[in-house]
Amino acid sequence: MRIPILALLLAGVVVMEGQSPFDPLLREQLGKLFPDAASFSPKEGSPPHFKAFAGNGDIVGFAFWTTELEPLERGYDGPIQVLVGVDLDAELTGIIVARHHEPYGYFSIDTPEYGAQFVRKSVRDRFRVGADIDSVATATITVRSATRAVRNGARRIARQFLSPDGGLR
Amino acid sequence: MIRQEAPGPTAPGSCRWLLAAALLLVGAQPAASGTTQAAPGAVPGVQPEPAAAAAPPESAAAPAAQPEPGVSTQQSADGADEPPSTDGWNFEEEDDGWDFEDDEEGDDGWGFEDDEGGDAWSFGDEEEDAETWGALLRDQAADLVFFTGFAALVMVGFFRKSVWMKYATLAAAVAYLGFTKSQLISVVNVYGLMTGNMPVFRYNLAWYLFAGFTVVTTVLWGRLYCGRVCAFGALTQLMDRVVPAKLRVEVPAWLEPRAAWIKYGLLAATLAYFLATADIPAFRFVEPFWMFTLRGTTAMWIGLAVLLAATVFVRNLYCRFLCPVGAFLGILSKATVFRIKRWKECDTCKICEKACEWGAIQGPRIVMTECVRCDDCERLYADVKKCPHWLLLLRAKRRQRQAAPSVIPVRPVAST
Repeated sequence: MRIPILALLLAGVVVMEGQSPFDPLLREQLGKLFPDAASFSPKEGSPPHFKAFAGNGDIVGFAFWTTELEPLERGYDGPIQVLVGVDLDAELTGIIVARHHEPYGYFSIDTPEYGAQFVRKSVRDRFRVGADIDSVATATITVRSATRAVRNGARRIARQFLSPDGGLR
Repeated sequence: MIRQEAPGPTAPGSCRWLLAAALLLVGAQPAASGTTQAAPGAVPGVQPEPAAAAAPPESAAAPAAQPEPGVSTQQSADGADEPPSTDGWNFEEEDDGWDFEDDEEGDDGWGFEDDEGGDAWSFGDEEEDAETWGALLRDQAADLVFFTGFAALVMVGFFRKSVWMKYATLAAAVAYLGFTKSQLISVVNVYGLMTGNMPVFRYNLAWYLFAGFTVVTTVLWGRLYCGRVCAFGALTQLMDRVVPAKLRVEVPAWLEPRAAWIKYGLLAATLAYFLATADIPAFRFVEPFWMFTLRGTTAMWIGLAVLLAATVFVRNLYCRFLCPVGAFLGILSKATVFRIKRWKECDTCKICEKACEWGAIQGPRIVMTECVRCDDCERLYADVKKCPHWLLLLRAKRRQRQAAPSVIPVRPVAST
């Protein structure tokens, strides 16, 4: 049993190395968050983030994985991995719910309606589930956890990289 | 005299190596690789890639990525509601100008330095903490109160052995835990327990109350959860009261204990499948609890219809033979502290065995792993007109009285 596990481990490492910065799927997801961006940085910095660049090399926004900025946040069963884009006006450009283990995720956070609520939402806004974000009566834990992760992660990025007056700090 | 129950089905405890394998894999998981397919063991522990901590390599176009540490006191244009920092509380991180409206709720102290005082109204730690917990409790007050009320109904009905209270409990379980909250103990919680992925405590107080209640009552009295709390079990029990009795097929006594093993097999298979694939949504094909969300695929609804149709003929079919959660609680209930009393007459008497709707009484013993504490047998024990224990006592007393009426004047036993 030990050898297959080691083989799997090795395969995992190889896959991880192979896809790290320019994984096409990741590139596509970043492109969805920043349709106008010309290129993206690999993941870098602390907190870990991606930068989106315009054609002339200016930064147009930041993207991050909630699981890396809010690693302690848990849904019903584990972290909910969401890719979030924040532009220089500190507004969310969108979110992509990439992976989770939520049993009731398929009708709550996996729906396009859930993600659509975050588009052009400012990090200054409130993110109360039930008032600002639609609640799903039977999937409360899931929706609340995902929403908290998005909000707190985006605010962390804003504090770190953005000026409240707009633009970079 | 209390009898120990006989060896029931044993725990499928041998999947420890599987767990170890999963834990190993978790460490190697590229957590932020952005893949959507579920990889094995892709559960917790997100490690930021160490290489990413280094200086930004080729992004020359990142001018001011680092915050200047000392800069402060710049007043934000939009933060009109931010009081000027003339009060001496010049927290470095407070003056970053970000003034989030609802941070007093969200600022939960998860240890991000910059989150701590980000909101300009926090003037003291104690005050802030009190406010935070107050807000948390206020948010969850309704859930906490409703569940506490429900739990009280469960326990009072259980201790009073009251039939009507039991049915009230079942109806409340279907309405509240079922259709309103749709939060039953699920095999997903067993996954979470195995992989250490439980919901965040402070945000899910009511859920922890619910889960704690389930575990504690199971250890103390047995599968009380299955008998009264689980909304699906409640639904099938209520169904059983409506369905005409002549449709019912009694499972033969030789088959009953064997069929009860199926659920342990299902639990083991489900856990093995989860550890191998980390695929959670498959649980819906094992558990019908999703039905309370009213969201399922056509295949799932057909499966549910078949299950409910079969339940018309075999009462509580799912709970007795199939439920992996019941199997898990069955394993826990091996440790049951307060067991059902048995008389020595129970060695030969079959009344309770016949009355038990759960097949939990096999000969003289009660199989704790199958017993859901429905109280049917305990009501029989207490019934002086039905339980042979009392009838024999009564007869013994009568005989005694006839044998020596003048010596010991016995008051006639209340004969009704």
